[in-house]
Amino acid sequence: MKADPAAFRSAAGVSDEPLVEARGLVVTYPLRRGLVGALRRRPRRSVRAVDGVDIFVGRGEMVALVGESGCGKTTTGQALLRLVDPQAGTIHFMGEDVTHLGGRDLRRLRRRMQMIYQDPYESLDPRFTVQATVEEPLRIHRAARDRRDLQQQVTNALERAGLVPASMYLHRRPHELSGGQRQRVAIAASLVLRPDLLVADEPVSMLDVSVRAGVLALLDDLRTGGDLGILMITHDLSTAAHFADRIAVMYLGRIVEEGAARDVVRDPQHPYTKALLSAVPPRDPRERRVIQALKGETPDPVNVPSGCRFHPRCPVARAACREVDPELRPAGTGLRHRAACILV
Amino acid sequence: MTLLAIEQLNVWFDLDGGRQLHAVRGVDLSLDAGERVGLVGESGCGKSTTVLAVMGLLPPNASVSGRILLDGKDLLEQGERSMVPHRWRDVAMVFQGAMNALNPVRTVGDQIREPIELHGIATGERAQARVGELLELVGIPATAGARYPHEFSGGMRQRASIAMALACKPKVLLADEPTTALDVMVQAQILQLLMSLSDELGLTLLLVTHDLPVVAQTCGRAAVMYAGQIVESGPIDELFHDPRHPYTRLLFAATPDLVGTDEVVSIPGAPPPLDRPIQGCPFQPRCPAAFDRCLQEDPALRPVSAFHRAACHLNEVAAGMGRGVR
Repeated sequence: MKADPAAFRSAAGVSDEPLVEARGLVVTYPLRRGLVGALRRRPRRSVRAVDGVDIFVGRGEMVALVGESGCGKTTTGQALLRLVDPQAGTIHFMGEDVTHLGGRDLRRLRRRMQMIYQDPYESLDPRFTVQATVEEPLRIHRAARDRRDLQQQVTNALERAGLVPASMYLHRRPHELSGGQRQRVAIAASLVLRPDLLVADEPVSMLDVSVRAGVLALLDDLRTGGDLGILMITHDLSTAAHFADRIAVMYLGRIVEEGAARDVVRDPQHPYTKALLSAVPPRDPRERRVIQALKGETPDPVNVPSGCRFHPRCPVARAACREVDPELRPAGTGLRHRAACILV
Repeated sequence: MTLLAIEQLNVWFDLDGGRQLHAVRGVDLSLDAGERVGLVGESGCGKSTTVLAVMGLLPPNASVSGRILLDGKDLLEQGERSMVPHRWRDVAMVFQGAMNALNPVRTVGDQIREPIELHGIATGERAQARVGELLELVGIPATAGARYPHEFSGGMRQRASIAMALACKPKVLLADEPTTALDVMVQAQILQLLMSLSDELGLTLLLVTHDLPVVAQTCGRAAVMYAGQIVESGPIDELFHDPRHPYTRLLFAATPDLVGTDEVVSIPGAPPPLDRPIQGCPFQPRCPAAFDRCLQEDPALRPVSAFHRAACHLNEVAAGMGRGVR
């Protein structure tokens, strides 16, 4: 059965329209041929960084997109925000097809979707005060009525991001802030336009363990407030398991499994998800176990294997896996749990 | 038997304007031959500085006091002169980010060969054969030595940096964040490699990391550092199941577990600046259980059970009242 995502959602009892939804998303990057290659007229080749991704984020929902480096998770996030252009597929934002928006329409869209980057040591301008950083989006989008309104919005955003009282932080520069505080400033700057969608790319991986939970709890609070949807891109499965509602597992440009966080973690269906989870070290020393490491390295997205793209590393692959490129389809016992494997 | 003992190690860095940063403040740590010990803590706690001091590789603005005993011999006694015969030959190190520090224009094999020849372990064809052995030891085919770093994946580059550290057959390997920035699957493979090296070669391993689950899975014992001091040390099982310092307990509680359901906490506040004197217990401003004595007196690292030590006044209060710290 080929599952249509919309039909699947309604079958699962999730009738309301998602905040953002991509279908069949493809993003390719051209490979450099070099001068010799061009002179010899070697064919232009490209990397299919995202190769047919279906993903959606609902209002008030946090979805974690997990996978190893190079699997295409950041590109997927960038494509959803229209920061990179997809070669194929569609992106709907609140029901509107935004795949090909440009110019003023795209600018209007940008206000409503924001990105939080991994490294708050690099994403903040060292010369800008907190005030300047957070008010910049308001100025660019002319989103404040007057000076007083601007100040009010900056203060609100900082306090929503947990920097209370805001007046204590307004005049500081990044070097006067700790890592956790910097990331909160970055979050405040992305909240100030009151977006509907946040894409957070590894939002805590550069932070110390002791402050990570605070930033994650902040994201968690922001979306439980109601309308905000969050796509969190992470390589850390434990973080995804604790903070996300749903987890989508990506491998080599595709989503291979998707479902409620609890179902994906406790009852993984795809052999890749199983391997990935088995490699996560448990915190309790008594739960020591032999790690079932996969053989081989993640293949190159320039040369995607035939059939199921995971088959060369799959511990349970059969002959058919070399031929059939599996679709995401219902798997396991959980509602809305899907996997792309012919064996489930 | 104790192979490496760090005794009362202090490291200061001279800063601009005549200020001094007291980065390592009286660290005691010993490693038995063949043992795997974790040194854990957050950025800036002094764990990297501690291992760099053991290697004698601190920058010129650092000053060091204390003793670093290798088989009973003090490596700090005559400064560089007493360190040189042992650095790399007896004690070796995998630096943080080593896999990204390989020379991009030389083959991996050449780079592993360099320390072998430099330290007079072997020359010519025998050195080349040793390169092959080392690569095989870390799970890379010997023939791959002819390739350049960019042809290696991140995991293979990290294996190559481990091979390089093992060039002179050291007894002790200090590994500084060896799996940070690696994907979970590759991390698992590197940890397996380090464990098998210590099991098969009897290598003594000090694993420096901020990642508690990594230590929980690989080490028998661990020491937790905070603000330049060891605040708790003992068997990793006791540190997790019976922590006797609030920082250790909170650090575990701040680490999400894949299937655990307990709430992940954050620790409010930040570590104290180390360029000025610290009054009382360094963790006291962030400690949920601090009381008046913690403001006045820095607790010493004291035994709480046979192999377990902690630096917290609560343990003495608890001992006096005959109950546990928690």
